[in-house]
Amino acid sequence: MLIFLRHRVISSALPLLFVILGVFFLARLTGDPANLYLPLSATPEMREAFSEQHGFNDPLLVQFGDYLAQLVQLDFGESLRTAQPAAEAVLRAFPATLQLAGFTMLFAIIGAVVVGSLAAYRPNSPMDRIASFLSATAASIPDFWFAIMGVLIFAVHLEWLPTSGTVGAGVWVLPIATLLIRPFGVLTQVVRGAMVSALSAPYIKVARSKGASEQRVIFKHALRNAGAPALTVAGDLTVGLINGAVVVETIFGWPGIGKLMIDSILQRDFAVLQAAVLITALTIFALNILIDICYALLDARVRQGELA
Amino acid sequence: MKSPLRPPLTAGPPGRRRTALLGVGVLLLTGCQVANSGSSAAGADTVRIALPEEPPTLEPCDASLTATGRVTRSNITEPLTERNPGTGELEPKLATEWTQLDATTWHFTLREGVDFHDGTPFTAEAAAFSIDRTVNSDIDCNVAGYVFGDPVGATVVDDTTVEVTTEEEDPILPLRLSFVEIVPTSTDSTRKVREPIGTGPYRIDKWNQGINLRLARNEEYWGEAPAYAAALYSWRAEGSIRAAMVSSGEADIAVGLAPADGAGEFAVEFPNNETSYLRIDATQPPLDDIRVRQAINYAIDKEGLIASVFAGLGQPAAQLVPEGVTGHNPDIPAWPYDPERARELVDEARADGVPVDRTITIIGRNGIYPKAAETVEVAQNGLLEAGLSVEIQMLDVNAWMEYLLRPFPADIGPTLLQAQHGNQAGDAAFTMDQIYGSEGAQSSYGTPALDELIHRAELSSDAERETTFAEALAHQNDEVVRDAVLAHMTGIIALSPEVRYTPDAATNDEMRLAEMRPANGS
Repeated sequence: MLIFLRHRVISSALPLLFVILGVFFLARLTGDPANLYLPLSATPEMREAFSEQHGFNDPLLVQFGDYLAQLVQLDFGESLRTAQPAAEAVLRAFPATLQLAGFTMLFAIIGAVVVGSLAAYRPNSPMDRIASFLSATAASIPDFWFAIMGVLIFAVHLEWLPTSGTVGAGVWVLPIATLLIRPFGVLTQVVRGAMVSALSAPYIKVARSKGASEQRVIFKHALRNAGAPALTVAGDLTVGLINGAVVVETIFGWPGIGKLMIDSILQRDFAVLQAAVLITALTIFALNILIDICYALLDARVRQGELA
Repeated sequence: MKSPLRPPLTAGPPGRRRTALLGVGVLLLTGCQVANSGSSAAGADTVRIALPEEPPTLEPCDASLTATGRVTRSNITEPLTERNPGTGELEPKLATEWTQLDATTWHFTLREGVDFHDGTPFTAEAAAFSIDRTVNSDIDCNVAGYVFGDPVGATVVDDTTVEVTTEEEDPILPLRLSFVEIVPTSTDSTRKVREPIGTGPYRIDKWNQGINLRLARNEEYWGEAPAYAAALYSWRAEGSIRAAMVSSGEADIAVGLAPADGAGEFAVEFPNNETSYLRIDATQPPLDDIRVRQAINYAIDKEGLIASVFAGLGQPAAQLVPEGVTGHNPDIPAWPYDPERARELVDEARADGVPVDRTITIIGRNGIYPKAAETVEVAQNGLLEAGLSVEIQMLDVNAWMEYLLRPFPADIGPTLLQAQHGNQAGDAAFTMDQIYGSEGAQSSYGTPALDELIHRAELSSDAERETTFAEALAHQNDEVVRDAVLAHMTGIIALSPEVRYTPDAATNDEMRLAEMRPANGS
């Protein structure tokens, strides 16, 4: 297991380096932030002083070297916009996104397992068709539309939920529902497909012939084998959620990492953008390893395959 | 703060999985908070305002930035003088009167009995310090350059008098000083502060970064006590959500709305002091030919644009400076929509060898005002029908700024830049030099004759100032034609029936909490 882990860590480190490089250089191709931070009629001297103060006058490679040297000391630089440490902004925003993504995936997985399993139990039954139709629809609804409709119906007309915000139980419902809909749709289809093949496998017949209850057959025997592919998809979807919470966070005023990234791109706040991307990439990197471990625990062939 | 993700400790061994699920349930049912969020409890004595963005800072010397100014100005900090957005008159604030001793020297008499939020008294020393910090320091205040071109001297005469001197004669110095927010001498003068101390009717109570910002009434305020005990600002980037917050009773006022945001019965419209225009780069052929620039003005259907794209909100504009601003010229007519005349002018230019087939790029800016992209499409359509070749490039703010400000990018060909200008200060001086002067920071083209008129106007005062600026604007319109002015824009806020507040021309840049009161209150 340790060798497997080491192998995964090494193979993921290279993409991480590309992420650091890419964000640093691409951000600097998008223009001089002095335009945004100095008065409209700033003199050339003021611009020069601004660039000098923030090190933008140095050659790009020198700037990158300085950045790496800072990173080694866990110094992520200072926000141009707020003059506060970039790491502080990121660490403030990150838990909010993780909470949102975590709860969303929890509900998506529970819902998908129940609905997907029920649909797979009798393929082509009305229940199966309804589930397939709903999951396909859910997987293809745009987040933005769903969020605005949710606000109009549940906040403005019915007044059951708050439109947005961060305080109280109600504020979780619409953001989670908006984020949930796609992973739920995709996962339900995956669980259904995997369960259909699992339920027709010989060992299920063996289990039934031994007198196992249907509930035990579905949720214990079949689901264990159908779990591995669903887990991989769930992992990818979680990564997507962390990256893609931008729409939901922007609409609902959720102070998460997605919104922070968009704001820092628009504001050319390089230090915050770099810190946000790097910390997100590290999290995704850790998440992928975690998924691999779970996958390997579920399926011994993966472990052996990696070792071979 | 305890992490909401941690399951609660329970007595007995119900099994780890069940505990975790129970934890999630309890969390969702009992009202968990987003990580690091603060309480936003707001009673009836709190006015709740939904903003489009969080102020990056409340630094008073950056109060001319909209996001900062509408929270800071006249709420947390106050200037010596203040322009009344309704009458256009300059009124006393922390200064009770001012006199001009000679061409470059002014004396300001300061209000007595005023304290800062930290309890220290407001003195002439603080006034001189604030002017010096804002205008002359190296902290790159946003008013430097825009409001003040040259350094300004500020010295203490006695406890209640401060002397301000300028390098050149400046008849509107008291107006310029309405952009200097006064802070105590304990304020850092080597770098900007995020949370200032001021003399205003409200002080900063708690700033939950990323979540909300609460101001509390300054009970020691020198003036009339404002109606609300507190103000709670929160921010939502999406206009329809801001409007929905008022509809659902979560906010009392939502600002920066578009007609399509659905504020419905809560919508209140007001002239927001912004004028939209296309800046013509007259240094590049075919735009260096005045007939082509005139054709552009004839080719754009302003009435149609306002009716269809701006949902009827706004007025066709004839000049960048709206009514109410010193120097506005009521005799300049808006260019009529005359596609026939536009085609003739283009044809005439073509016959004289002007390369009218050269592709002109309209540089647009996403979100500069509602329906910004549709606006440039309307302009493009008009210009194509006039026989010009036009394409559109939409940019985000920073990329667009590269085109707005000098030095302009080289080798970009002929361009029309989508822009919007708001003259907050109420004097054409804040428009003319930077936008129409040959060397203006936002100017792509000017003429010596226009420069001369602008300079003459800037040095004059009273009626002469009015007429000279008006003359300069007419000259621009007739002889220079450096832009195609589109519309004086209309702002929209959503206002709860629980709150009385009348937005005015200054609302975009400063929202005075003291002007808000409960509808059922006195």
